[in-house]
Amino acid sequence: MPLNHSTEEKDGIVVLKLVGTLDAMTAPELLPTIDRLVEERRNRVTVDLEGLDLIDSSGVAAIVALYKRTRSNGGRVTVTGARDQPLAIFKLLRMDRVFSV
Amino acid sequence: MIVRPRIPQSTPVTSATTSSTQLDLSDRFSAEMVSAVSEIFNNIAIHGFADRPVGDIAIEMQVARDHLAIQICDHGAAFDLSQVPKPELDKLPEGGMGIHIAKACVDELDYTPGPPNVWRMTKYTNGSPSKKARRVSTQPL
Repeated sequence: MPLNHSTEEKDGIVVLKLVGTLDAMTAPELLPTIDRLVEERRNRVTVDLEGLDLIDSSGVAAIVALYKRTRSNGGRVTVTGARDQPLAIFKLLRMDRVFSV
Repeated sequence: MIVRPRIPQSTPVTSATTSSTQLDLSDRFSAEMVSAVSEIFNNIAIHGFADRPVGDIAIEMQVARDHLAIQICDHGAAFDLSQVPKPELDKLPEGGMGIHIAKACVDELDYTPGPPNVWRMTKYTNGSPSKKARRVSTQPL
């Protein structure tokens, strides 16, 4: 299953919407967008996972990278809408506490 | 079945049937098995075959009334599973989470270094008593 991702800005917050599967195959597709958000110092980012069906450790790593790099710029990343398997993986990795999914 | 080491499409298995055995799988069961197999497969493809352009991975599935067992064999680089550190989850790791996820998603995860390297994952429909004792997270999947 592919990954579709898009960004839009609302009230100064960049919403990164992920739909499909974020895994070892598709996570590299997301990296240029993460690089751009960090380089443009977009310091308020929301990752919308409502349309995400599956995630693996590589996908989690991509979101963690965005979180850490944005935080190092003084910004903040929140994750919303996680459900089913992605939510279970975030809970397993105890990242639900950090991202407040 | 022989497959080339590419990242598998994550299509959940919703049911598995043999001529003599039928196993109804819940969404949770399927999601956990898919997660475990994906993590191990990716681990082989990314690390086991890191120094070669192509290789074979053999996947066998055994269906029983009370469990599903999947065995994955490869001729990639072997390693010592006992030396793989647990991820420091409080530090938000960006790697080293795959085997942790796989262990948590199945009731039994065994690895025998080769060649061939053999991974065997077993998941019971009603859970395994030993699983509860070694779950890596208190958060159920």
